[in-house]
Amino acid sequence: MKNILEIRNLSHAYDQDISIIKDFNFSLKKGEIVSILGPSGIGKTTLLRIVAGLEGVMDGEVTISDKVVSKKNFLLPPEKRNLGLVVEDRALFPHLNIEKNVMFGITHIQERESLVQEYLDLFKVAELSKKYPHEVSAGQQQRVAFARALITNPDILLLDEPFGALDKNLKDELHDETKKIFKDTDLSVLLVTHDEEEAKYFSDRIIEFQEGKIIIR
Amino acid sequence: MRSSKIFSVWHGITLFTLLFFLSPILIILSSVFADYSENWSHIYEYVLADYILNSLFLVSGVSLLVMIIGSLTAWLVTNYQFFGKRFFEWGLILPLAIPPYILAYTFTGLFDSYGTMNEIARSLFNLQQNEMLFPNIRNIYGAIIVFSFTLYPYVYLICRTAFLNQSRSMFEVGRTLGLSQVSIFLKLALPLVRPALIAGTMIVAMETLSDFGAVDHFAISTFTTGIFRTWYGMYDLTTAMQLSSMLLIFITFCLIMERTSRKNANYSTIGSNFKPTQVKRLSSIGSSVCFFICFIPIFIGFILPILEILNWSLRFNTSFFNEQFFSISLNTILLSILSAILCTFIAMIINFSIRYKNSSVIKSINPFLNIGYAVPGLILAVGIVQLFVFLDNNILNSFEGYFLTGSLFGLIFAYIIKSYALANSTYEAGYQKISQAIDDSARVLKSKGLNLLFRVHFPILKTSFFTSILLVTSEVVKELPATLILRPFNFETLAVSTYIYASEERMVEAAAPATAIILIGLIPIFFISKMIRTSRLEKS
Repeated sequence: MKNILEIRNLSHAYDQDISIIKDFNFSLKKGEIVSILGPSGIGKTTLLRIVAGLEGVMDGEVTISDKVVSKKNFLLPPEKRNLGLVVEDRALFPHLNIEKNVMFGITHIQERESLVQEYLDLFKVAELSKKYPHEVSAGQQQRVAFARALITNPDILLLDEPFGALDKNLKDELHDETKKIFKDTDLSVLLVTHDEEEAKYFSDRIIEFQEGKIIIR
Repeated sequence: MRSSKIFSVWHGITLFTLLFFLSPILIILSSVFADYSENWSHIYEYVLADYILNSLFLVSGVSLLVMIIGSLTAWLVTNYQFFGKRFFEWGLILPLAIPPYILAYTFTGLFDSYGTMNEIARSLFNLQQNEMLFPNIRNIYGAIIVFSFTLYPYVYLICRTAFLNQSRSMFEVGRTLGLSQVSIFLKLALPLVRPALIAGTMIVAMETLSDFGAVDHFAISTFTTGIFRTWYGMYDLTTAMQLSSMLLIFITFCLIMERTSRKNANYSTIGSNFKPTQVKRLSSIGSSVCFFICFIPIFIGFILPILEILNWSLRFNTSFFNEQFFSISLNTILLSILSAILCTFIAMIINFSIRYKNSSVIKSINPFLNIGYAVPGLILAVGIVQLFVFLDNNILNSFEGYFLTGSLFGLIFAYIIKSYALANSTYEAGYQKISQAIDDSARVLKSKGLNLLFRVHFPILKTSFFTSILLVTSEVVKELPATLILRPFNFETLAVSTYIYASEERMVEAAAPATAIILIGLIPIFFISKMIRTSRLEKS
């Protein structure tokens, strides 16, 4: 199967002396779900931000759909990468209602209404469409965040601890639903988590970040 | 690295704005290297010592008094339960609505030999016409009182926040070590808020040094009145600029002190062991003492001038709201709103570019734009006149006569420089509340540049936008010296109108514009007091 994301010899550091990621190689296939597991502060989120184009790289190369998007002194901005991003605190736009949040990334006007309705239904938040983020629960906010990310039909979905702020029941419920949607839509997903159970349940493959080394399971 | 471009349009806009804003100040400073005229020798020999000594005495007196009033009232309302405490928490900032020059005018009306208070005293105590109960206020001591009772809220606000952040446990330990309530204040609480106290006092010192209206009315020779006299009396702009440079250097020193103190503004950082202060109930005597300590600053700084202005208004009678008053009010409101919108817009663009480009260049430039608030209006006016004359003579010389000099551009330019710090701090506070994840999500959803600004940031920061407009508007309405010098011929604002009437001793007629200035000044006070009430709820 074809690689949709390739990372070659990636190195990154915030401080010249302390490398947070060193000589890292990785590939993600179309339709594959890969979890990056490891404790806090080890560089998992940084890796995700590099793939998203929110951070540059010091060395190495990142390729999405055979196109180089990041290398030393070059950075294709995030808006040109066709990715989806869901983070732990949802980052919903507080001034927009649920419908407009989901609609945010859609530029083509004609099918917008029907597409939004489709995704609101898919993530079971259609009845909340006119409510604002602060008026709905954390679980519902997370569903909206997923709908907003998937509606743009991204090549890769990047998830940064997306279930971290939810209680266990809600987490289990969302795990089942979202995994089914990802598999049904043949979506490539890169999940960052510190929860081993979540990583095992969700992923086709797990990459474990540990102090100074990377273990691929 | 956030972008492949190292220098972008955002950098360009910010750098241009910085240089444009700083140019009047740089022009003033450059005068240090110009030739020194005979007037300078005259000033140096005969009056400079007076300017320096009077300015230092004034600033020292005001600083001492605001430290006492500001810290004591802040300590009382934070730590004790007494009659009127809830009102005093926000009521103590009311004097901020009254500019020092208006307090000076009302004090003259109240305490002059034939002023309201002496007239009342004569009729109450059957005194002779040449006898006075209240002493003459038109001197440096009167000026110290005027500045202290209008500016102490700066110290009060900053000290109150610092006292609120002090942990109860520390005072409890102090009590077990044998300290009395008074000793706890003097030996523990006060030393711990010292940086905050210095920061607040430095703001007051800068405001005092910058003032022109009050010291001019009391005929005190300070740097600002000296600059004005050199320019308008001796017609020597270069010497006026050289005097301005001296004041500017001293103010920069105050500004650096203020910034350094603010960095350590609170020794007692809230940690996981933080226990909020326990408010103590007082006996009826203690409660009365606290009530009077807190009431006196409000009485002198707010109630008394309001009563005197009401007295003038009643005497001025029906002609209070005449056509001229409305025309001047309209001028003022339009000009201040226009300046406020432009200033807020500039602050918005710069803060956005700092966030969007995450550039160290723009981040390090922005604080320089903030120094405008500390530069006296009079000095700014001198610099702007020089800059505009240069631009008119060298770049805009295709226009007949002067295009920029003597136009409203100068006024708006001065107002933006003076008020940028207000707009900027409002936006900075607003941006701190927006998670970086919001920007990341928006960018991944293909929103960038102006699209990100107007679709995401602007709607979220709408409150900051309007707060900034409000704060800048009220600041501009009060601004006197820059307006006095830069206004176009025959153009009057409320501040100028008040000044002209007061300088002609037509106090009664000054009532209308003074009232309007105070009413507009009360609007931001209303919002700050609302914030104080909210913070009280959060703390409890």
